[in-house]
Amino acid sequence: MTMPGRADLQLIALAVLMTSVSSKADVVAVVSSKSAITALSKSQVADIFLGKVSRFPDGLLAVPIDQAAGSVERNEFYTKVADRSPAQISAYWSKILFTGRGKPPTEVSNDFEMKKRIAANPSAIGYINAELVDGSVRVLY
Amino acid sequence: MQLIRRRGGIVTKRMWREVRAIPTPPSQRILAHLTRETVTAICAMTLWVVAAAAAAADDSNERMFMVGGFGTVGAVHSSEDRADFTTGISEATGAGYTNQWSAAVDSLLGLQVTGTFTNQLSAVVQVISEQNYDNTYTPHIEWANVKLQVTPDASIRVGRIVLPIFLLSDSRKVQYANPWVRPPVEFYTLIPVTNSDGIDASYKLHSGRLTQSFVGTYGTSRPDFTSGNANVRRQLSISDTVEFGPATIRGTFQQAVLAIDTLDSLTDAFRQFGPAGVALADKYQVKGKVTKFAGVGAVIDPGAWFLMGEWGKAEYHSVLATKTAWYLSGGYRLAEITPYLTYADVKANSSTSDPGLDISALPANLAGRAVGLNAALNGILGSTPVQHTISVGARWDFMRDTDFKLQYDRIELGAGSPGTLSNLQPSFRGGGCVNLVSITIDFVFGGYGV
Repeated sequence: MTMPGRADLQLIALAVLMTSVSSKADVVAVVSSKSAITALSKSQVADIFLGKVSRFPDGLLAVPIDQAAGSVERNEFYTKVADRSPAQISAYWSKILFTGRGKPPTEVSNDFEMKKRIAANPSAIGYINAELVDGSVRVLY
Repeated sequence: MQLIRRRGGIVTKRMWREVRAIPTPPSQRILAHLTRETVTAICAMTLWVVAAAAAAADDSNERMFMVGGFGTVGAVHSSEDRADFTTGISEATGAGYTNQWSAAVDSLLGLQVTGTFTNQLSAVVQVISEQNYDNTYTPHIEWANVKLQVTPDASIRVGRIVLPIFLLSDSRKVQYANPWVRPPVEFYTLIPVTNSDGIDASYKLHSGRLTQSFVGTYGTSRPDFTSGNANVRRQLSISDTVEFGPATIRGTFQQAVLAIDTLDSLTDAFRQFGPAGVALADKYQVKGKVTKFAGVGAVIDPGAWFLMGEWGKAEYHSVLATKTAWYLSGGYRLAEITPYLTYADVKANSSTSDPGLDISALPANLAGRAVGLNAALNGILGSTPVQHTISVGARWDFMRDTDFKLQYDRIELGAGSPGTLSNLQPSFRGGGCVNLVSITIDFVFGGYGV
């Protein structure tokens, strides 16, 4: 048996690094802990974020909030709840935007700002890294 | 009256124009066009000022104006060099005869400003520069309307509004939002009018995951085509769209009163040939006839793949024959690349030829004119599109808000029909096959994501 060469070691290191990058943290849909909503299905969450419904199942107004375009959280979230790639989501909103029929959710720049906005507004719904969940927000999906 | 001599008889200049259906002089058309555009622009600006004034009383909104745009840069090659491939009668030139590779067919640039003044009041103005009927790229106002959101599920728009008759009417010019290089021409040329000046009302009904939207529109339109200036009056459309998760089903009914100046002068000429001529004129006259369109469409798009199709019938009850068209398209998403396959078909439901006036019953001096009129009538009837196309292509989302598309189309023209081709050259014979290769880059900017 021969020892792995320097180049092989570099490749292994690169492979390990890539694995750790691709196994991104789980992203979860959240509402304020002050909200009356306790659970939503994947499709209910998707419908709110795609602008197909504007209310929670109990009839209260739902205000979706997005993370920044191109962020890992946003890409993970739409892949998870809507089975759609970032490009598909972009095409979807351009279709609605350029008809004047609606506009995509407002954006916040990161997980912390998202959590702050969600916690403060019982109507808001967003998504954050699962590791950051605390008593101020409730996980829906 | 000034006379000019023509093979087969003597015709007046006026008659000759009628027979050849030559459009009104460009100067007059441009003037009429300018006037209309100016009026529209003034209306749009007035609405804007009114809306902005109303907004001054409300300061709750965060971003009042949003500016965005969309566009396509593309080239298409056609194997048929005796006719042009275009996307419809609002394009002057195309691929094949005018240019082997044409950038004029698919390239366009659109800009949109959306103003959100209050929670209830918003406005949109969309301006598009694309190849026009007169081979210019003068921008035109595609939409300019003010929307009043009466309740979260009910809204009213006033101004220049999209004519919502097809599944993709809203996005037919935003190719970034569509899977293909262009919507299937067989289906999307059934009604060449894209907008209407008037009013629309929309109402949404929710029950669980099912959303039902009713839209009704009423208005008028004055589009300019290569074949003449159209006047569309009393345009009424109703549509019902049902959305359930990844599935959308839509049904539309539309009717309008249409007139096209060049075609009406042809049928008027028939009226001078006694009862037989009047009967033909009544049968083929466009002016005053109620045109009807009925269509259904469906799309299912769960994310990894899509399947969509539309069927529609346009009844013109005139020299513009009644046509039925449909298409079916599917695609599968492999990461950033989405290959697709489309089949599209258009056929005529009414006769594409007519014996016309009986020449033998006419005195020699009228027979020549009758021959010319019969030929002009059959020229128009015979140009009714009959064709089907198989398209294969792929969309590559190679960077943010930008895609690259490559598409191959094999158009099979119906026997003797030029299909949807235009600028037919004397040596062109209908029927046969046309091969197209299209390459486009589509993009959107501003608005979303900025």
